[in-house]
Amino acid sequence: MSSLLVLDNVVKRFGGIVATNGLSFHVDRGESLALIGPNGAGKTTIFSLIMGEHRQNSGTIKLNGEEISNLPTHKRIQKGVARTYQVPRPFSEMDVAGNIRVGMMPDNLWQMITRGADPDGELAIARSVGFRDADLSRKPSELSMGDLRKLELARTLATRPEVMLLDEVFAGLTVGEIEQISHLLAEKRKQGLTYIIVSHDLRALEPLVDRAVAMTFGKAIAEGSFSDVMDDEAVRSAYLGQ
Amino acid sequence: MPRLLLAWAAFAVIMLLLPQVVSPGTLRIIIFANFLAIFAMSWDFISGKTGYISFGHPFLIGIGAYTSAILSYRFGVPVSLSIPLAVLATMIGGTLFFLPALRIKGTYFALVTLAFMELMYQLVQVIRPDLTGGTRGISGIKTILSGAVPNFYLSFGLMFAIALALWLLSRTRIGTALDAISMNEEAVSGSGLNTTRLKLFAFMVSALVAGLGGAFYAHYLGSIAPRALFDINFVFTIIVSALIGGSSTVIGPIIGAYFMTFLLEYLRPVLPGSERYLVYGLIALVLYVYQPKGIMELLRKLGVRAGGGRTGRAGNV
Amino acid sequence: MLQVLIQGFLLSGLYALIAVGFTLIFSVGRVLNLAYGAYLMIGGYAYFYMVQTLGMPKLPGFLFAIGMGALAGVLMYRILVKRLKGDQVAVEISTLILAVVIQAGIVLVFNDSSKILHPIVDGVWRIGSTTITNNILVAMVASWFILGGLLLFVKKTHVGRAMQAVSMDAKGARISGINTDRVNMMTWAISGALGAVAGVFFASYTQLNPSMWVAPLIIAVAVVIVGGIGSIVGTLIVAHIIGFMEIITTTFIAAELRGVFTMLLIIGVLVIRPQGLFGRGDL
Repeated sequence: MSSLLVLDNVVKRFGGIVATNGLSFHVDRGESLALIGPNGAGKTTIFSLIMGEHRQNSGTIKLNGEEISNLPTHKRIQKGVARTYQVPRPFSEMDVAGNIRVGMMPDNLWQMITRGADPDGELAIARSVGFRDADLSRKPSELSMGDLRKLELARTLATRPEVMLLDEVFAGLTVGEIEQISHLLAEKRKQGLTYIIVSHDLRALEPLVDRAVAMTFGKAIAEGSFSDVMDDEAVRSAYLGQ
Repeated sequence: MPRLLLAWAAFAVIMLLLPQVVSPGTLRIIIFANFLAIFAMSWDFISGKTGYISFGHPFLIGIGAYTSAILSYRFGVPVSLSIPLAVLATMIGGTLFFLPALRIKGTYFALVTLAFMELMYQLVQVIRPDLTGGTRGISGIKTILSGAVPNFYLSFGLMFAIALALWLLSRTRIGTALDAISMNEEAVSGSGLNTTRLKLFAFMVSALVAGLGGAFYAHYLGSIAPRALFDINFVFTIIVSALIGGSSTVIGPIIGAYFMTFLLEYLRPVLPGSERYLVYGLIALVLYVYQPKGIMELLRKLGVRAGGGRTGRAGNV
Repeated sequence: MLQVLIQGFLLSGLYALIAVGFTLIFSVGRVLNLAYGAYLMIGGYAYFYMVQTLGMPKLPGFLFAIGMGALAGVLMYRILVKRLKGDQVAVEISTLILAVVIQAGIVLVFNDSSKILHPIVDGVWRIGSTTITNNILVAMVASWFILGGLLLFVKKTHVGRAMQAVSMDAKGARISGINTDRVNMMTWAISGALGAVAGVFFASYTQLNPSMWVAPLIIAVAVVIVGGIGSIVGTLIVAHIIGFMEIITTTFIAAELRGVFTMLLIIGVLVIRPQGLFGRGDL
């Protein structure tokens, strides 16, 4: 069986800066992968490239064996990738249910007009990330950072992704909230969700992933089990900054 | 839903009984308010919903008005055919209007639409003045009905049908998706939706309404002239109506259009001269700066306070 | 040919003068002031009132116009723009409404008939077969002087450099101890004064009427859009592109089409190169 998502020799330059420098890695179906590296290593850029928010200069990105590099963002989501953002970006004037509703919509104008929303589906997704039923009618401005992260997860899950890209899901959270989100991700992992996760919180990361890729200056420098990668000489020196 | 539908029905009944109680003079004012409401709803469907502000809406309205006027006046095409053709032409024009939205947004998009309107203003006077009537425009366009009462019914019927259709449309998921675009367009495509297609849809609906309104307006007035149509004051009236009433709702632009029209009328006895426009503009400005969400939001807040903090979801009324 | 060249430079000079105040606000405050055209109207009418109604000499008339323009700028900033906290769309919409309000105010005070402004400088010049009025010649020279002076002001004075800093990065400027609010207010005042000066010349070139604010606004918008976020030199260059384009159109194609190409240029540039021909530059 081939891998679910494969990046091969991806290069991305912003002007003179090389953000991604011939990076290759893959994630298998049902696997969870940590992408680690110091600030500015190019982790978020990778997510933007996979989502088509930026285009790579060279290299290939394949999902289920199919090259997706030339697809616009919304098509890639339909193919089964989705991401969350470091800074949650909900639809600010819509309640939780409305935010999930947009995620669940089919990309078909006719169906959007003729078929109504699915409140049960919205509720199910909201519950699956740990919202209480009363939260459905709350607006993003009334939510805590932890709840905003949950909303971000819910909206992303609503697109039914095969692989999810999670960007700094623990940033700005209290210890309790980190625990909650960790628990949630562990649950999703057990249910077979594939994800790639980026976080600075290495301790929270370790139990959530099968494998890790360490990168610096847009290049992979180590790959393997989480503890092996953390013990790697190159990784240590990259983190400590030589 | 049923309660809201009842409210719509009540609104219709009251309006239909109106000719029994008010003078033809007042009816003529309401006819203008009805047309203004149509234009404001059209504007709001692009600008209020998706957040792409149009400063050149008369471009679309003008295509509708001119197409139908030229077809019926110069070529003797019956109104029943010239109006649909005018709507079609407006939708084609709407596609043109849409092109810049693929690349630019915000401030720049607003300005490009303003440029579209100015372009139209100048082209109409220069290109084929034998058809457009040049600077003087066209007069003697066939009117559909005569008299205040029939025209009132016609304009109200048109306005009401458009309002109801747009209201039903914004209650579907497509309404939600368009609202979402104005809040965070990237996240809409991040939800797997083709935002280009959604925006194009909004522009087409808006153009359809503008074309209908423009064509009927030309056949109501019996004459059109470029200076009155492609005028920044006209843009002002449309935008202010939508904003004052309450943007991104359907009833808001209607309330705004009525409010603005009647404000101007009721200022007449108090301020017979041109002070009227000054006061009119100032009221619009203060209302906009004080409550950018418009009268609908003021009413809602009052309602919430009066109802002891009742927080029921009003939805897109 | 000579005639095209001369007229092109004259018109472009006037356009540069019209656009520069608008550019200034756009660079420093990052907002489009759609009531900018109203400064021109205020300036033109203020001058008209002093000189042709009260019969005062021209210089005090000019100073009065400048003062009124600056006052209008300050009031707009204090009362309206500051409240809206840089919400670009809200500023655009509210300044558009304001422009219409000012138009109504002008009608109220001066009624809505057109008024002819006497030339600021009388006499004509002849170069070959071309006749040019001294009035527009002075407008062009004034335009060059004002733009040059503004450039010096921005580069050399403390206030000017603060304006530059705010235009590059308002937050950074604030952290560095610049009172951005004061700088913004100064910019609005200068913009208003520049608009008023341009208004006097523009009105003497065309005429005074309550809807005269639209045409210069469109010129200013065109210059800013085509040039990109405004450098002063960029403004000058683009004013010449547009000025010459209009003169060439008038001379060789048809006078009625002169505005058409300007609009097409705006639309074309916005669609193909939204950042403008010269991109984002410093003041």
